[in-house]
Amino acid sequence: MAGLTIVLPHDPRVDDPGLGLIALAAAVLGAGLLRGAERAVMWQLHLALVLGTGMVALANDFTGQTALYPLLFSWPILYAFYFLERPAAAAHVTLAALAYVIVLLDADLPSPLVRWLLAIGTPAVAGMLIARLLDRVRVERIESRDRELLLQQNEARTRIVLDSAPDAFVAIDRDGSVRTWNAAAERMLGWSASEAIGKPLRALIIPPELREANDQLRRDLLDPAEADSTRVLELELQRRDGSRFPAEVRASRVTVRGEVFAAGFLRDTSDRLRREAEREALLRAQAARAEAERVAEMVSGMQQLVDAALAYRTLREMLPMLVTRLRGVLKANAAAIYLVEGREQLRLGAASGGSPAGADGAPLNFGEGFPGGVAAAREATLAEPDGDSMIGVPLLAGGELTGVLVLCAASPRRFSSDDLNLVRLAADRVALAIDHARLYERELKIAETLQRSLLPERLPRLPGLEVAARYLPAAAEAEVGGDWYDVLSMPGGRVGLVMGDIAGKGLAAASMVGRLRSALRAYVLEGHSPALVVGQLNRLIWTEAQDGHMATLLFVVVDPAEGRMAWVNAGHPPPLLVDGAERPRFLEGASSVPLGVLPYPDFRESSQTVEPEATVVLYTDGLIERPGENIDLGLRKLAEMVRDAPREPDALCDALLQALLPDGAPSDDVALLALRTIPMSDRFDVEFAPEPEALAAMRALLRRWLRHVKASEAEVGEILIACNEAATNAIEHSGVGARTPFEVSGCFEGRRVELSVHDHGAWRPLRKGEGGRGLPLMRAFMDQIDVTSTAEGTTVRLSRTLY
Amino acid sequence: MELVGLEIEEEEDIVIAHVTGELDIVGASSTGEAIVDGVPTSARALVVDLGRLEFIDSSGIAMMFSLARRLGGRRQELRVVARGGDPVHRVLELVEFDRAAPIYETVEEALAELSRN
Repeated sequence: MAGLTIVLPHDPRVDDPGLGLIALAAAVLGAGLLRGAERAVMWQLHLALVLGTGMVALANDFTGQTALYPLLFSWPILYAFYFLERPAAAAHVTLAALAYVIVLLDADLPSPLVRWLLAIGTPAVAGMLIARLLDRVRVERIESRDRELLLQQNEARTRIVLDSAPDAFVAIDRDGSVRTWNAAAERMLGWSASEAIGKPLRALIIPPELREANDQLRRDLLDPAEADSTRVLELELQRRDGSRFPAEVRASRVTVRGEVFAAGFLRDTSDRLRREAEREALLRAQAARAEAERVAEMVSGMQQLVDAALAYRTLREMLPMLVTRLRGVLKANAAAIYLVEGREQLRLGAASGGSPAGADGAPLNFGEGFPGGVAAAREATLAEPDGDSMIGVPLLAGGELTGVLVLCAASPRRFSSDDLNLVRLAADRVALAIDHARLYERELKIAETLQRSLLPERLPRLPGLEVAARYLPAAAEAEVGGDWYDVLSMPGGRVGLVMGDIAGKGLAAASMVGRLRSALRAYVLEGHSPALVVGQLNRLIWTEAQDGHMATLLFVVVDPAEGRMAWVNAGHPPPLLVDGAERPRFLEGASSVPLGVLPYPDFRESSQTVEPEATVVLYTDGLIERPGENIDLGLRKLAEMVRDAPREPDALCDALLQALLPDGAPSDDVALLALRTIPMSDRFDVEFAPEPEALAAMRALLRRWLRHVKASEAEVGEILIACNEAATNAIEHSGVGARTPFEVSGCFEGRRVELSVHDHGAWRPLRKGEGGRGLPLMRAFMDQIDVTSTAEGTTVRLSRTLY
Repeated sequence: MELVGLEIEEEEDIVIAHVTGELDIVGASSTGEAIVDGVPTSARALVVDLGRLEFIDSSGIAMMFSLARRLGGRRQELRVVARGGDPVHRVLELVEFDRAAPIYETVEEALAELSRN
């Protein structure tokens, strides 16, 4: 259009004031475009362009070509200001001003070049400007439409999210009318959105009787003065069909464009509550199962406890173990077992933990203290006497009260009635175990007593001989063993030493020992040889012992007068002989099978000379056998010990036990017997108790002494008879029950034997009747007899010259 | 303790009592009683075997005399066995026991003599 103004013929009326108005209007329009282009709508742009076109046309009409130029320059200036930053735009304005000056200098007749530039350039610039403006407007419109679309999409998405939410979403306005109602709300409450929206919420979902309270809640929530804009409420809601359900409501106050709403999520909690209830029931079931398992564990613990208890046999061993385990099984702080003692008294048997009543060893009377109370009532009791929880249960065996079991739990633990029942169960077993142990102990005591009675109470006094014996019952096996020994004064001044070991333990073994012992004593008196005696014992075991008893036996007969010993060994460890300077040696000799193995075994006798001073040691395998140790090693050790030990039998026995059983507690029974012969000299002087039993010992000594002084067999026999008569008289003189011993002394000088029997009683010259032969016998067998009687007593001197 | 042993056996109508060990004042009277108890009234004779007896004292002798008297009262015969040279035999000789009852060297001799009657 501007180009048109150039090519059209016009009058040069540059002074016309209309041109100034047009310039002013163009400036205003341009400025308006500059400021409002961002927000300009289409019709404004069109208007601006039409105005611009009009102005250019008017300008062309009013002005000449020269006057038109400033208008033409206004286009790039507008363009520059529209698109460029202000400094850059100012630079373009300066350039345009410069160009205008050039054009003014050459203005009178514009050259054809300038005309064509204007004719082509002006529409091009204007076209570009317009195209740019239109484009800009179009882009803005598209963006605004997209924004709207996004907003719509977003809203739709929000709705979808709300609708698909598992929780109902409800919004109400200030009046309580429903404004939003999502799909979950439809499902949950039974009202569709179209039905619900606009209706008062209270009428839709609040049960009638709760509406008043709910109204207050709503008012509180919607009150902008309330600081707390969020509430979590547990409510009971009503569905459309009238059914009710528990719900959790999370309500918030929302202000949208000054309008206050209450929006909330509603959640049906009946499922959650049911799950919670189920979970609780599950937990209860688990707890019940755990309790059942605990009880089962305790019961099995108790069974173990009893099994363990039955492994112990004596109360002393069993009770401490029982209380410790009971305490563990019942998880108590302390446990104690009291045993009934005598009449109506309890004594503490064993305790674990705490300081139980009667711990000082003093007996408790029935009714005294908690245990005494339980004993008196004979009833299981659960009590808290001193703040601590206590259970006391009577121990009953065959209806008889044998004790009381007490358990204590320190606060805060408290026993329950279940615990009480459990302890009752435990008590039954404990009572049983105690009863067993008591029975066993009784049997043990009988067996022990029996065995002790079977061992010689004291060893015979044997002048010229020393003898000692030891018996140690096994420590671990609290049971009587079958070891036994005996020392017998035999006819002829011989001494029988017996060492035996019966297989088996307990009462049966002890009674068998008794039979063997008395049988052996009887057989010995019948004057049989040792081999025959042992053969008879074998018959006894073979024929009489039903349960296949087997016994080893060593029977040694020492004849000190003859200086010989004979022995029969039926499967027993060999005797040990120590004499002179020689090393101790085991007397192997002929060995036979143990007793009770064969009906007629060949028992052979071995014999050995015995020096005037010698020691024989007999023992049972308990002394030499050690678990895992070679028996030969044990024998060698024994021989070494004997060599180094003192010879006196008592000291010897002690030294051997000390060396071989340093702990003093053998794992098996041990019996040990040592006999030592004292060498004779030409003189002797011995005291004897004033009792007939001393006569045999006196004769044994005298026989040995006479053999020592080389008296003949006949001389020995006759002198013995004579001296025995004198000694018999001495005993009679002393009277019944006398204590003062009588003395027998001997002296050998030349070939003359002088004997003296001195007593402290009153001489009675002649015994009447049967007793009257004493003195004639003395006279017959001795060369000389001399009787001296004083107030202090009587001395009979006998002498005879040996051939 | 007693050192005397007693073993009684019967051979038809003859009772044989073996007295062993040492017979002194401790065991004399009880041994005598036991022997008498061991002889039934139906028995014809009693042989007391002292052959293995190792010692006898005046009480033992008295017991033997008493035994002889009691058997005589029951019209039963008594025979005694003792080894010659043995102190027991010496004592029996000394107290002239053969006046109360015959003495033989062995049990067999005594039995043989009894069977001849």
